[in-house]
Amino acid sequence: MLFKLTRRKALAITSAAALSVSAGGAFAQSAADRAVEAAKQYSGITLNVFYEAGLQPLDPKNFTGPLWEELTGIKINVIESPNDEMFTKTMQAHLGGSGAYDVLNVLPSQMPDLALAGALEPLDAFVDKFGYRDELNSIAPVYRDNQMMVEDTIYGLPDDGDVFVLYYRRDIFEDPETMAEFKAKHGYDLAAPTTWKEFGEIGQFITDKHAPEIYGAGMFRQPGAAKYLFEERFRVEGGRFFDPETMRATVNSEAGLRTMQGMVAENAWMPPGVEQWGFGEVFSAFLAGDIAMAVSWPPVGRWAAGYGKGTEALNWIPETTVADTIAYALPPGGKPELAAGFSLSVASGSKHKEAAFLFAMWMNSEEISLQRVQLPYALRDPFRPSHFASEEYRSKWPSAGEYLDILEAGAQTGMLDLSLIQIDRYNEALRQGLSRLWAGDDPQAVLDEVAANWDALTDRIGVEKQRRVYADWASKPNAYPE
Amino acid sequence: MTANSLSRTLERPGVFKYLLIAPAVFVILLIGLYPLIKLAVTSFQDISMFGADYSFNGAKHYVRLFGDSRLWESLLHTVLFTAVALPIELVLGYLLALLFLERLPGKSFFVAIILLPTIISPIVAGSTWRLMIDQRFGPVNQILSWIAGREVELLWNIQTYLVWPAIMIAEVWQWTPFMFLMLYAALSNVDKEQLEAAQIDGASWWMTFRRIVLPAIMPVMVIAMLIRALDLFRIFDIIWTMTQGGPGTMTETISIYAYNIAFREFETSYSAAIAFLVIFILTLVVVWLLRRVEVER
Repeated sequence: MLFKLTRRKALAITSAAALSVSAGGAFAQSAADRAVEAAKQYSGITLNVFYEAGLQPLDPKNFTGPLWEELTGIKINVIESPNDEMFTKTMQAHLGGSGAYDVLNVLPSQMPDLALAGALEPLDAFVDKFGYRDELNSIAPVYRDNQMMVEDTIYGLPDDGDVFVLYYRRDIFEDPETMAEFKAKHGYDLAAPTTWKEFGEIGQFITDKHAPEIYGAGMFRQPGAAKYLFEERFRVEGGRFFDPETMRATVNSEAGLRTMQGMVAENAWMPPGVEQWGFGEVFSAFLAGDIAMAVSWPPVGRWAAGYGKGTEALNWIPETTVADTIAYALPPGGKPELAAGFSLSVASGSKHKEAAFLFAMWMNSEEISLQRVQLPYALRDPFRPSHFASEEYRSKWPSAGEYLDILEAGAQTGMLDLSLIQIDRYNEALRQGLSRLWAGDDPQAVLDEVAANWDALTDRIGVEKQRRVYADWASKPNAYPE
Repeated sequence: MTANSLSRTLERPGVFKYLLIAPAVFVILLIGLYPLIKLAVTSFQDISMFGADYSFNGAKHYVRLFGDSRLWESLLHTVLFTAVALPIELVLGYLLALLFLERLPGKSFFVAIILLPTIISPIVAGSTWRLMIDQRFGPVNQILSWIAGREVELLWNIQTYLVWPAIMIAEVWQWTPFMFLMLYAALSNVDKEQLEAAQIDGASWWMTFRRIVLPAIMPVMVIAMLIRALDLFRIFDIIWTMTQGGPGTMTETISIYAYNIAFREFETSYSAAIAFLVIFILTLVVVWLLRRVEVER
């Protein structure tokens, strides 16, 4: 059954919002209430909200959209696009001056590109006008400090706590016989791997013992998703993307080679065809009990635990067989990729910029966002300390507390996606390299070509220009592990 | 202009007929020529994601075409794919048409079934084939496993020696029926009396085909080949949904490359130059083919 918005539920949410007046703030109402009050003047208009296609838009379609309309009289029209076309469509709307979108979902790594191209509206004036700065400060620092601003200007409200988590099966890892055999073979206790070397040994051991029924792990290998794993592991291995002085790519370093060789070697003990695996394949295999470990985005942890079972929108998800045995840990290296994520932005071409901001602010506020991250079918993940600490959320399933603790830990140590001018082109070069890697090309040759492509891009964009942007990115505390 | 002078102008020989076709010509110019001119102008400007310089920037984007190895690789992929897929579709379409010339029970039903792939959107066909060849869930590997009697694990859109055949299968599956339909119509109109006369005279199958059937179906066949060749040259959807041009850039065709440059990298002026290159090549091919047809006649 979908989350149906009833009048009683709407009243409960707005009452909760009204009660939670921000302590010490200059504004008497909560941010959510202020947004609603201010937005009422725009009653009757329609806001076009741009969302990643799939489950993401079920939030504005089933929950926030109807509730917002009931509270303000503003209709929400959701426009969807595949994730990898969102940048293109946002830019097309901007360059064409179509004004097709009012509220945008923006991948933080693409925010500098979109902001510098003029596609995003600066939000500082709105933030101050509606007193939203305090609530922005209560977003987890890693998202707030890295996914909100470009050159000291606010262009988006961090709205999604994407982070990679290692999921593993307690029944295998705590089986006495398996534990004893593993210790005898490798000399250390079987537990969630903390290094990629351990990951390889544990995965190989489980595959040797249980395959073809159960393989050691199944990981992202489709280039679009594998790119994030590469970026994470490359940095954990000590890699740096560029020489900060010359801006020559250093992705083809020893660390890059170790990373790619490690990924190729792991494919040998993962399920056949893992080279094609993306989000869907990994989570369906994990839920089916076909793999003992998986690294993926937060929704997998919820669904594998059975959260949302019986929800109509999640009928397509295979029945979980690991609900009672799922365990959570940070991926090897302890520095998970803050892969993708979303910030809510206002399109510079919007005809209703203030109303668009108010809708974004309301969705992003403490009260409403807490409801949104608990929607079983939506893909928004906790991004505020209050979400991680929510007693309501922590009681959703037996291991929900453990799950939220890991997300919170990931939010503290997680590493940012590389962000540069025209980052999509750098990512495309890396994606192509990874697809060649799975096709059997030599890892060093692949890395050399990626580096050459990156250098050519940097030269075309301008070394000095790109160096400034890279230096800004690299100076952030979550850009590199140390 | 007075009513009389207008009337005199209209009465001049030839004027009225031009007036009748003028609206159509205007529309054609508007939707055909204007974009072409705009494209040409854009290719000499410097418009990209981060700025638009509308002044004349010389032929720098055309010069860049010559040094762009990825462009020429994608063009080579396109030409080779067209060169292989077109004859396969032609031969299979012809054989199917021959088969259906015979009296067959339920012929109309089977013709309708065979034509189904052509009415499917190429993007849907590509997505369907991507699922068909999926290693984990797809039926292709399962069927091959049953036939082989052991687990078959072919990574159709990963392994370099399989990725083009996979695309080729999807393309041929979807568009052979078009060839079949065209050739079936053409073969149905071959003069039966000539065929009977050839048979009575003891002509071989090859002689009959070369001297009677081929000349009769040639005009339709050339047009069918031209339509398919142009489509194959512009192929995008099936490859995009199956491989997005990968692994690496191994299956990147000229249309996919142009899309990447235009709508992922937003190099608008350079993509306009690429588009002009494609238009130039296709125009050469079409003119050459049409001249050949004229000569044949």
